Amino acid sequence: MLDIKTKLQNEISRLLDENLVDVFIAFKKENSPLRPQPAFFRNTKELAELEYNGLCQNNLANYLPKYPKETRIGMVVRGCESRSVNALIVEKQHPRQNLYLVGIPCSGIIDLKKIINKVGEEVTSFSEVEEIVSVIHKGQEIKFNRRELLHDSCLCCIYPSPVNADIMLADPLPEGDPALIRKEVESFQNMNRNERYAWFRQEAERCIRCYACREACPMCYCSECFVDHGTPRWSESTVTPAGTHAWHIIRAFHQTGRCTSCGACERACPMDIKMTYLTNKLNYDMYDMYEFVSGMDEKIQPPFASFNMDDKKRFVL
Amino acid sequence: MSDNGHNPYNPIPMHIVRAYYESNDRSLKTFELVFDDHKDCVDFFDNYNPGQFCQLSIFGKGEAPFGVASAAWEGEFVRFTVQKLGSFTQYIHTLKAGDPIGMRGPLGNGFPLDEWKGKNLVIIGGGCAFSTLYALTKHVHHPSNRPNFDQLIVIYGARTSGLCMYKHDIQSWYQREDMEIHQAIDVPEDDWLHHVGYVPDVVKEVAPLPDNAVAVVCGPPIMTKYTLPALVDLGFPPENIFTSLEKRMKCGIGKCGRCNIGSKYICKDGPVFSLAELQALPADI
Amino acid sequence: MYIIENNKIIQTLLDWSAKFDVFAPQQVENYSQYLQVSPDKELILSNIHNTRFPPKAFFLPQSEVMLKYNANINKLEEYVSIPKQRLLFGVRPCDAKAIKLLDTVFCTEEYHDPYWKNKRDATIIIGMGCNDPCQTCFCTTVGGSPFNHDGLDALITEVDGALFVETFNEKTNELFNSFSKATKEQEKHVHLIQKSTESGMNKAFETKGLKQNLDQIFESEYWTQISESCLGCGVCTFLCPTCFCFDIVDEIYRNQRVRNWDTCMFRIYSQEASGHNPRPTRKERTRQRLMHKFSYWLDHVGEIGCTGCGRCVRYCPVGLDIRAMLRTSYEFEREVVNV
Repeated sequence: MLDIKTKLQNEISRLLDENLVDVFIAFKKENSPLRPQPAFFRNTKELAELEYNGLCQNNLANYLPKYPKETRIGMVVRGCESRSVNALIVEKQHPRQNLYLVGIPCSGIIDLKKIINKVGEEVTSFSEVEEIVSVIHKGQEIKFNRRELLHDSCLCCIYPSPVNADIMLADPLPEGDPALIRKEVESFQNMNRNERYAWFRQEAERCIRCYACREACPMCYCSECFVDHGTPRWSESTVTPAGTHAWHIIRAFHQTGRCTSCGACERACPMDIKMTYLTNKLNYDMYDMYEFVSGMDEKIQPPFASFNMDDKKRFVL
Repeated sequence: MSDNGHNPYNPIPMHIVRAYYESNDRSLKTFELVFDDHKDCVDFFDNYNPGQFCQLSIFGKGEAPFGVASAAWEGEFVRFTVQKLGSFTQYIHTLKAGDPIGMRGPLGNGFPLDEWKGKNLVIIGGGCAFSTLYALTKHVHHPSNRPNFDQLIVIYGARTSGLCMYKHDIQSWYQREDMEIHQAIDVPEDDWLHHVGYVPDVVKEVAPLPDNAVAVVCGPPIMTKYTLPALVDLGFPPENIFTSLEKRMKCGIGKCGRCNIGSKYICKDGPVFSLAELQALPADI
Repeated sequence: MYIIENNKIIQTLLDWSAKFDVFAPQQVENYSQYLQVSPDKELILSNIHNTRFPPKAFFLPQSEVMLKYNANINKLEEYVSIPKQRLLFGVRPCDAKAIKLLDTVFCTEEYHDPYWKNKRDATIIIGMGCNDPCQTCFCTTVGGSPFNHDGLDALITEVDGALFVETFNEKTNELFNSFSKATKEQEKHVHLIQKSTESGMNKAFETKGLKQNLDQIFESEYWTQISESCLGCGVCTFLCPTCFCFDIVDEIYRNQRVRNWDTCMFRIYSQEASGHNPRPTRKERTRQRLMHKFSYWLDHVGEIGCTGCGRCVRYCPVGLDIRAMLRTSYEFEREVVNV
């Protein structure tokens, strides 16, 4: 990884020196242990703060809609992140010509919560070499195999390599086995209806409507989210099962064909709520019914956002 | 406003006795409300001071703050003028005499009339923000209050003559000897006998003297923005210039944390502030 | 000072649950939360440092019915519930101090909030001191300490497997007086441990002059810089024990007027009916949050509106650390001055 970090630093340095970008979005060193942060580099002096490791857990595509379209943005993209960028380009959230994408094939994001659950809360340092991760907790060093700590979304990742990079800093990684995601989806689907609802209810019960999932998601960029509407009031702001269930289900449906299964929503949630099982199922249906995978192409519209004269019109009476 | 066990979030039941449009475009409607319980009426007027506001409350539609547009001596009713702007005000406009409505108040600090004793009052209002200034003027008009103040100058501007509020009463002010009234509209109209021009320019024209005077300005942000410097230029020190601020409110009693500018809550420490106080606050509006 | 052996505490809580509703931190999923103690359920006290959800929820619930609408008489009616007497066990001093700070908001001279007050009057708070403060804790920086008494009716310090209890009023004296008393030596030993734990904590940022500093840089680029990665979610404010902003809404289907937690970090928080928003971007909203905690609270009651619990640091999805943000503010001022 160190090697990658140096390559990344050099590339960002070049882009800034040659004034090819106005801002470069990557990660910077943590202020509190094991929490590197998204960073916005505008001059090379700031690059001493650059960080790149398995704990860089945010989907940086999230920041694209926040900039004016004329801003020339450079950014680091991994697998799911690069597809989120494409999905945003399709929805005209930023023009492709004002983006410079530095691709890094991804060996998976390490879930900080898994580390804490395994060793305890006071982890003071982290390092990774190839497949071995070692952390220090209360003065003791504990080693793990990287795969044990990967976030659940990364365990069934099919597209770890960036699909649209302008430059790649490492060789692409092979695609994952689609059976992994199919297994995940089927394990939910094969529960009977009551079991599925019980599982959904159990997860949604903890929700505190902080909307961290929404804000961490690159595809949730609406200036007025449906939960903020007063007239009509789609979902009450009061924390009740009805309102919270509506929130989770409607958000999942709004993601259909747009979500790239990056898992940023789950990682952002302060109450450890699982939610990718909903979007995984919907994305899988998109693949099954329309052979569509979100974000593989920067021009193809998602099925639910486009209309074609050849579409079956069974629903038209 | 003392702690008498009353739940401050519970609206006081009232009903509307009069409802009529103020402006020719029907965007402004005045309501006169009476209390269902006389005890609430007594409590209200014991505590009421011009410049204060109330939260009008309709279940299912919400609550919103409105400045009180009547003086205590006018009778046992409370007057509000409501501008149709959002979903709540749109609903209020459909109400008529006899309809019930809830009210929480009086809230806020009101105009510091004790500080203003013996001074000249220069009251400057624009558009629908004139309602609390109307209450203030009416209060001053009463024979027992008038001797507390020296000169009374009122400058009131509206975009057009049709949008002027309280037209009938204001007409009678021209006949009064204890005050000066200067009305203005933005562009000339046939049959308009008074000033034409924006309020800041009319203020410069009227040129009230700053000696022993206080100025109160209430109007849309753009009017206030230019009127305050005009008064400073005329020699009014910031501690003698007052204005009334607005912000989104919910509780109205300084607990929900929403309406603050810096460390001041507009509902509790305001809505009336002097320019000197505002200059000490951060620019968060 | 009383002593309870560690293995007796669970029985004690169960005994108390006959008289009060007792809440203690217990394991839920991967974190701990205050759950009611009941004799039918096995009680495993969580030893994770602090609950994720702050105990302010016992006094200012996330959603609370304020008034009920009586359709027959077309009137809103008071709905002030008086809860059963209850006991919160194991509250950390940072959370307890926060509850005491919130008293200054909800119980003022002019307006008394009956919902808050009734719950406060019905609750006994027994604190658990922190022998091993987390790296994200900074209570000592903001005027607190891992064994602070503010807001607590009693404080427990664990030393060598025994729980030493200091009681601060009659309510808790009564609860503990059946236990043996600590000797003078033991008391001294406990106080020594408390002091040394407290002095072992580092200062996270300078508080002297912090308010003046923040006031001075109100208009500067500092706020744009520190808020650039902020997502604008509500995690820091909802998990914060001193945040109290709320929204009031009418729930028509249940005929209720409800108050819900709200956050200054959401865009619609100060959105006005005219469409004007005084805090249109994340810069202004982040500024409001930090200024409120570290400047305006000082204007209101002379205390910083933060008790250093560290939840905002631990759970921020983008790793923003309020301590680093405040340290940067000093550097920013120096930079501005040096230019």
